[in-house]
Amino acid sequence: MSSLLAVRELRKSYGHLDAVKGIDFDIAPGEIYALIGPNGAGKTTTLRMVATILKPTAGTITLDGHDVVRDAAQVRRMISYLPEEAGAYKNMKAIDYLTFVAQVFFAERDRVERAVSVARQVSGLGERLNDKLGSYSKGMTRKLLLARTVMTEPKLAILDEPTSGLDVLNALEIRDRVRELARQGMSVLLSSHNMLEIEYLSDRVGIIDHGVIRDTGTAAQLKERHGADNLETVFGVLAGRVRADADREAVAR
Amino acid sequence: MRTFMVLVRKELGELLTLQMLAPFIAIIFVFMALGNVISAAGDTDEPTRVVVVDNDGTAESAVIGASLEAVGLTVVPVQDEDLDAVVTREADSAGLYVVVPEGFGASLERGEPAMVQVRTVMTGFSFLGMRGGAEVQNGLAAANQSIATAIAARHAPDVPVALLQQPLTVENQVTIGERTAATSAEAVAGFVSQQTTLIPIVLFIVIVFAAQMIATTIATEKENKTLETLLSYPISRTSLVTAKMVAAGLVSLLSAGAYMIGMRQYMAGMMSGVGEQSATDAMSGVMAELGLTLTTADYAMLGLSLFAGILLALSIAIILGAFAESVKAVGALITPLMMTLMVPYLLTMFIDLNSASPLLKWAVLAIPFTHPFTAAQNLFLGNEGVVWAGIAYQLVWFAGFALIAAKVFSSDRILTMKLDLRRKR
Repeated sequence: MSSLLAVRELRKSYGHLDAVKGIDFDIAPGEIYALIGPNGAGKTTTLRMVATILKPTAGTITLDGHDVVRDAAQVRRMISYLPEEAGAYKNMKAIDYLTFVAQVFFAERDRVERAVSVARQVSGLGERLNDKLGSYSKGMTRKLLLARTVMTEPKLAILDEPTSGLDVLNALEIRDRVRELARQGMSVLLSSHNMLEIEYLSDRVGIIDHGVIRDTGTAAQLKERHGADNLETVFGVLAGRVRADADREAVAR
Repeated sequence: MRTFMVLVRKELGELLTLQMLAPFIAIIFVFMALGNVISAAGDTDEPTRVVVVDNDGTAESAVIGASLEAVGLTVVPVQDEDLDAVVTREADSAGLYVVVPEGFGASLERGEPAMVQVRTVMTGFSFLGMRGGAEVQNGLAAANQSIATAIAARHAPDVPVALLQQPLTVENQVTIGERTAATSAEAVAGFVSQQTTLIPIVLFIVIVFAAQMIATTIATEKENKTLETLLSYPISRTSLVTAKMVAAGLVSLLSAGAYMIGMRQYMAGMMSGVGEQSATDAMSGVMAELGLTLTTADYAMLGLSLFAGILLALSIAIILGAFAESVKAVGALITPLMMTLMVPYLLTMFIDLNSASPLLKWAVLAIPFTHPFTAAQNLFLGNEGVVWAGIAYQLVWFAGFALIAAKVFSSDRILTMKLDLRRKR
């Protein structure tokens, strides 16, 4: 498998706290890779390091052959990051916000117009794009931010809890958008607490706990390997907090 | 450069909201209104009333009332009455009382100095409220001169009255650089101080405003969760920091302009209200003779010194803003910066640095914010070199803090300085 993103022996410490303790994973072009784990497992720290916001304490991250620390400027042109609680500038109109981001990425007017047009189509917000962001609901803001994330047609989209706080219909719509964009060739590094979402979206899953990746595979492989009928149980088993289904049945017998 | 301009436009769009612009416009109108109110209060056509209690009833005592009337006061004559009783009766209509005691004329006849009493019933401490008292003093000085003229004419008819009244005349001269003019040092100092009173106030307000504004923009980016996204864009951290500072600097200059216009209107109204406009006009000629006027180039230099001060404040405040977890925390965070500003602001208002002890002088000059506060006085004195040195000194400090700011934004600290690691996953 040729990888777009290669993470090797990645470590991050905050003083005496080791948040990430030497993890490795790859993401192929067009692949959706999910990183799941309990709170404090090191997911967001990993995502932030890939997004060039935090610097690794040790190890390497390369995107399309570029080191994210040394070639941060080039890497930033190839990625797009949607943080978990991302907000937007409340005094700006949505369309102006999208134009601002497009202008940051592209110098050519036609590229800016194309990016805004992509965002317009992905967000599905129509005329509401002319409204100020302060008047947007949480669902509308999240749709707009997802559109902003993908409008630059990044090689890798980093999505931290993309449907966090959204109602079922908005969440479904966003998941469909993400799958569609991955089919078109965009790779995705995803983090979510919603195991249904992970099963629906991801091609492969890495389970991280206490800064270490405990296991990696497709959802089906992980369930089979750990004798569980859902990812939540796999998650619990690997975190040492739940017994596998087979064990539970044995105990019941 | 293109991305930088995109960022500056975005920052200006964020800062120049109606909520931000409304106070600037309000400042101009409020100060204009204040100036007009003071001017109207001073321009009142109603003359000040003064009660003259004449308990002497001689030709000499009549001179007192006539002299007070001559300076524009409305004299309410009262005869042979106790002052306290008059004050009680006239309390609602007058606050100034002149008493000519019995024997006033007789004392003068005997060649002895005579006394008059002036009582002022104070109900406030405003400048305008004290104006009537100054008019009474002028009237009594005129009365003194009239009586002296009469006595001189009687006792020494061969000597010119003017010589007896003022045998010694003083001609004051002030030299500044190579120019000399006939005026007193007190008058020059008073005029310069009057003309530059506004500058430190405006400087202080504008620099604090700039610092508060940029620290708030950083705190808002953190609070609204836009900073993390911004940091992942293909923008150099130096551009990000500089764009924020340039935008905030431009808005601060706009606010400085609003304050200057507003306060000029206020001062013009106040000068006309206290009747000092003509004195100001006369003094302006003397100042021009001494070369103590600010040219357009001087104003540009003053603006440059202010801009350097604003930039320095911005570079410090952007670092302080990085520590803010929320907009609410900004006020407390910029307190150290305000204290640094307060020291030169107060010291330069009350101390002449040129005549202070070397230790105090250099200690105050070492504070970079001292230089915009002293720039106007140095420009009046033609010390352009000192002003340039002050600007350069501030820019050196600015470069240092801007570098630290860029380092903070380039490192994890911009996020981790406020992050609670227990929340990390």
